[in-house]
Amino acid sequence: MKEIKLKDKIAEGINDLFYIWKREFRTTFSDQGVLIFFILVPLMYPLLYGFIYTNEVVREVPAMVVDNSHTSTSREYLRKVDATPDVKIVSYCSDMEEAKLMLREREGYGIIYIPADFSDNIARGIQTKVSLYSDMSGLLYYKSLLTANTAVSLDMNKDIKILRLGNTTNRQDEISTYPIEYEDVAMFNPTNGFAAFLIPAVLILILQQTLLLGVGLSAGTAREQNRFKDLVPINRHYNGTLRIVLGKGLSYFMVYAVVSFYVLFAVPRMFSLNQIGQNNDLIPFILPYLAACIFFAMTASIAIRNRETCMLLFVFTSVPLLFISGISWPGASIPAFWKYFSYIFPSTFGINGFVRINNMGATLSDVSFEYKALWLQAGIYFLTTCWVYRWQIIMSRKHVIEKYKELKNKLVITDKTE
Amino acid sequence: MEERENKYTALWLVMKRECRRLVSRPLYLFCMVIAPLFCYIFFTTLMGAGLPTDLPVGAVDLDNSATSRQLLRNLDAFSQTGIVANYNSVSEARSAMQKGEIYGFFYIPTGLSSKAQSQRQPKLSFYTNNSYLIAGSLLFKDMKMMGELASGAASRSVLYAKGATEEQAMAFLQPIVIDTHPINNPWLNYSVYLCNTLVPGVLMLMIFMITVYSIGVEIKDRTAREWLRMGHNSIYISLAGKLLPHTVIFFIMGIFYNVYLYGYLHFPCNSGIIPMILATLLLVLASQCCGVIMIGTFPSLRLGLSFASLWGVISFSISGFSFPVMAMHPVLQGLSNLFPLRHYFLIYVDQALNGYSMAYSWSNYMALLIFMMLPFAVVHRLKEALIYYKYMP
Repeated sequence: MKEIKLKDKIAEGINDLFYIWKREFRTTFSDQGVLIFFILVPLMYPLLYGFIYTNEVVREVPAMVVDNSHTSTSREYLRKVDATPDVKIVSYCSDMEEAKLMLREREGYGIIYIPADFSDNIARGIQTKVSLYSDMSGLLYYKSLLTANTAVSLDMNKDIKILRLGNTTNRQDEISTYPIEYEDVAMFNPTNGFAAFLIPAVLILILQQTLLLGVGLSAGTAREQNRFKDLVPINRHYNGTLRIVLGKGLSYFMVYAVVSFYVLFAVPRMFSLNQIGQNNDLIPFILPYLAACIFFAMTASIAIRNRETCMLLFVFTSVPLLFISGISWPGASIPAFWKYFSYIFPSTFGINGFVRINNMGATLSDVSFEYKALWLQAGIYFLTTCWVYRWQIIMSRKHVIEKYKELKNKLVITDKTE
Repeated sequence: MEERENKYTALWLVMKRECRRLVSRPLYLFCMVIAPLFCYIFFTTLMGAGLPTDLPVGAVDLDNSATSRQLLRNLDAFSQTGIVANYNSVSEARSAMQKGEIYGFFYIPTGLSSKAQSQRQPKLSFYTNNSYLIAGSLLFKDMKMMGELASGAASRSVLYAKGATEEQAMAFLQPIVIDTHPINNPWLNYSVYLCNTLVPGVLMLMIFMITVYSIGVEIKDRTAREWLRMGHNSIYISLAGKLLPHTVIFFIMGIFYNVYLYGYLHFPCNSGIIPMILATLLLVLASQCCGVIMIGTFPSLRLGLSFASLWGVISFSISGFSFPVMAMHPVLQGLSNLFPLRHYFLIYVDQALNGYSMAYSWSNYMALLIFMMLPFAVVHRLKEALIYYKYMP
């Protein structure tokens, strides 16, 4: 007897689950606001960010020159600096004051100063200095200036050394200038590009933020349309916690399975970003990320009372969340408090794991910490979602009962007066 | 005369009404005070170190000689680099990199010291993970320096043996040295570099949102006509009455970050605080006016807020404080002028960072003033919307 009851209950639950799933699916696609967040933003934002950072690196940073040496050596030095891809000499100034004035007028972002005794010192075998003055409004200007000048000075140092040594063979020259050679290998982002470093993190973050916004918006709408400003409608299908949470979750998941395919696979291809991850590592990793994000968004949506407030509450978090993930500001230098704070958000693990799999070709076992953390988050946020929805069901029942009692009382009063 | 007084009382009444509205919902307190305050503290404490130190790197030392150990000790002594592990092979180190344990590694092949002594030119290599751009670049700098020093150390011992003095040896090894002067941020402090724009940026984003929301919600709640009536059916009085209380709150928040950044954290402020306070006021007003334009062009709460979010979030990238505008596509270079944060950033660079006279950034002050003129183009549309629009979800 009891067994049949349980079986019936499960059958009913599954039935309701799909009813809720269908209904949520329909509201998603009939609500323009949700569609903006679920479709339009994930579609457009990656393209916009890709467009902003598409040049990857800063080339030809304009710089001024003050050449007090006026010798063939100093001119050779400057010619070589100008020939590097990083720096472009825009003006030869007669003194530092003129160069500083140009800096103020934003004609250039740096000054290369060559002292009067530059080539004399080289000829006399005394160390000489080239001074760089860089505008610090952007660190990339400084980096370009430094890279170009370092490269040129090392190159010229080598030539000067060879000249002084008077070796007889080329091999001798090589060995005496660099008794120990070195090479640098820039891994996983060989061009040192800005897009290749930032865009993957932005892509993952977009998934979480649009889910927060979309789910929050539909929760706010549900409340506004509800008589008692409750999240859960009065409907016989909305009887159990599990069926609501799973039904809604399933419908979001289906939308986001498609959206994340576009965001995580198509967009990097469009902008020729790094994409060396294996699909059988990437897909199993994205699965818990989406689950964690969906349940996180559903839990957070409880705070949303009105349709539009989700934007006010969630949009600004994108900037701190990007920084706390440890992509731009190195994770190793994030203070302990913020590190633990960042574990609240699926994006922290999502970004780190995705960047390592997609950009660095890591396998699932290499990102096992993030992978496990995401499953754990998915579990925890599933429970919190169930808990808040349970609470909401109770609240909405309470409101109905109160209303019922109120009406009944009225009825009794009217009966008596009659 | 009487009419004029009436106008002032109307303005006063609208302002009082707005103040009541502001305290009636915790949403306003959160967006105007708590969220910006949180971001001020978040960004400055996150990057409190200024420049990352002791970034974890690995070593693959296949030589295991006194020379190689000396090399690694020297590398470890650099302030940005901290050797945390030794690996037996390159693939082990690469795997550690993929696990996220290290940001790079230094590879010393077998026979380094013997080959160096017998003049057979051994080769060191170093690998940096540039998927983490800041960490990768900082480590690259240290490791390249180490590579130079390694080769220099070998030559230097030969020179010393020949009887050269230290000065002579250095002049031989590095005839030309580069002497860098990062103007006004000699510590290469990332907090100075980023927080000075991130912090006002968050405030600007919240101003966009709150301005759009506070006007749009009147349409939604059908209180727009009541609001207009209170302002003598003048859109100017109504708008001024609504937005002035916001201006006061946001400006206080603005002064607070100025005091916090320049007074408490002692970020470079070479122009004195006054130009920055002025720039902050202009940013607040320009952002509010942008908000009016947003809700004026899209008089629906949802579209207005979407517009505000888009513009606000893109501001962080397009203002060029991390990735310079000069490296962007020419179209974007032009577009960047439409973002108040871009002009604020340029003013900050000229004034607080570099201490130039305000005259050098006149174009940016002008631009912020022009933002304040723009609402005149949409107020009539907005008024119409306030009277006739029906809220559509």
